[in-house]
Amino acid sequence: MPSSELLKLTISEIAPMIQSREVSPVELTEAALAEADLRQPALNSFITILRGEALAQAEEQDQALARGEYLGPLQGIPIGIKDNIATAGIRTTVGSKVLRDHVPDEDAEVVRRCREAGAIIIGKENLEEFAAGATSNNPHYGAVHNPWGLDHIPGGSSGGGGANVAAGVTFASLGTDLGGSVRLPAAFCGVVGLKQTFGRVSQRGLMVTSYNGDHIGPMTRSVRDSAIVLQAIAGYDPLDPSTVPVPVDDYSLVLERGGSGLIMGIPSNHYFDLLDPEVEAAVRSAIAALEELGIASREISIPSMEYVGALRFSSMADSVVTHEPLITSSREDYSPDTLYRTLAGQFVLGRDYSKAMKVQRIIKEDTARALQEVDFMVTPTTPLPAPRIDAATVTVGGEEHRVRGPGSGLVARNTSPMNATGFPAISVPCGLSEGGLPIGLQFIGRPWEEGTLFRIAQVYENVSPTRGRWPDLG
Amino acid sequence: MAISDETLKRMIAEFGGFELSEEELALVRPELESYLAEVENIRNLDLSAVMSSRLLRAAEGGDADA
Repeated sequence: MPSSELLKLTISEIAPMIQSREVSPVELTEAALAEADLRQPALNSFITILRGEALAQAEEQDQALARGEYLGPLQGIPIGIKDNIATAGIRTTVGSKVLRDHVPDEDAEVVRRCREAGAIIIGKENLEEFAAGATSNNPHYGAVHNPWGLDHIPGGSSGGGGANVAAGVTFASLGTDLGGSVRLPAAFCGVVGLKQTFGRVSQRGLMVTSYNGDHIGPMTRSVRDSAIVLQAIAGYDPLDPSTVPVPVDDYSLVLERGGSGLIMGIPSNHYFDLLDPEVEAAVRSAIAALEELGIASREISIPSMEYVGALRFSSMADSVVTHEPLITSSREDYSPDTLYRTLAGQFVLGRDYSKAMKVQRIIKEDTARALQEVDFMVTPTTPLPAPRIDAATVTVGGEEHRVRGPGSGLVARNTSPMNATGFPAISVPCGLSEGGLPIGLQFIGRPWEEGTLFRIAQVYENVSPTRGRWPDLG
Repeated sequence: MAISDETLKRMIAEFGGFELSEEELALVRPELESYLAEVENIRNLDLSAVMSSRLLRAAEGGDADA
């Protein structure tokens, strides 16, 4: 099989070929690195490409396989890591000028687990400056471009990862999600993005800007691959107090159960209130497709979503505290968008922060209550398809909304609530706009029940109109 | 609810915040106004009986003894 075809497979398709030594990790890594070099001028999806390190890792895995040491489905698989996740001895810029020479001493726990599973890290991926936004239009390392429309954003903040997975450069990328930063690029780039339950995956080694909802999660080309990556990175980390010692299911077994018997909840408020008509049509069509497959549906309501805007208070205040030493020493190295968005956080009052924590509790309870009546909720991932890179504002629902910087927030209105509740959510592609841009469908589940999300997401994936579609990159 | 630039500058000075010129205050405004609108939205919400949202429930842990 030509290397260009190998790169279009999923992890679950190519893993048996690696196990049987029909394809070698070195061959696959060389193909991925060549594709990375080919696509970098158009996509700008990497900050650092790790040619030497990746080939050395691949050689090690070749030798391990020759000795009969099979580590599982990630062995020999080229992946990308967002550049705010620590990699030992490899610079980790967090997309900033301030940390352009920052080289961590230790791998993040998720990186350690990926290496242990035999994955090959081919590069550190471009992102929004300090992961603080939804565009991946980075002022220091250049804008990431969407493979489905190079003039459009890939979403953010994990835009490099979304672009790489969509373009067939990597088989999976690890992103981070504080308000939707895995699910947004997944939706805009037409791939699968998972934000698992808060506490399921260690955050150790991530530059956490808010202690109230950041998650490291995978972007992949299939739901099964998402489950494979979560299987590798999930689990209690005794050195990260935010992780919880909940047993991790065998997701390959869970996926065999299909969607039979599951009940779908369709929110009657918030999630469908402010949508581009093309997004609404695609999502309603996806819901109809699930109903045709026998998935029962029920309307649900989460009244406290009226107060969802208050959930931002904690990240505003946390962010200014996280950035305090860096802004003090290197204020001139910040872009205006990030600096002034961050500095607004210094005006958040403690009383309001405390109120926001209580609002968070109410929304968490209401969501939990709704999820007692149904097995999962279905929503649009984003209110609109990917905006143009040069757009300062977009119009949705007859109103103009800022895309980036201070006062922006529309793009993440359907993803950020689950960062505050900690409940798991997954985005899968559900169609293309008239302009050929992907649209995402979000499933939200009960805490620790990622398996249910994988089941329903895979059921839908099999009938999605985007199944088998690739961006035309020439 | 509007807060004047003078009040914001006084808050910065008295609470040891990051200094902002008038031009910079204008750039911070959109985020600040968004925050203040949400503060107004929850002003009359009775939150007195709401518990913390960050208590871990032991039953969620896989190993009861862990």
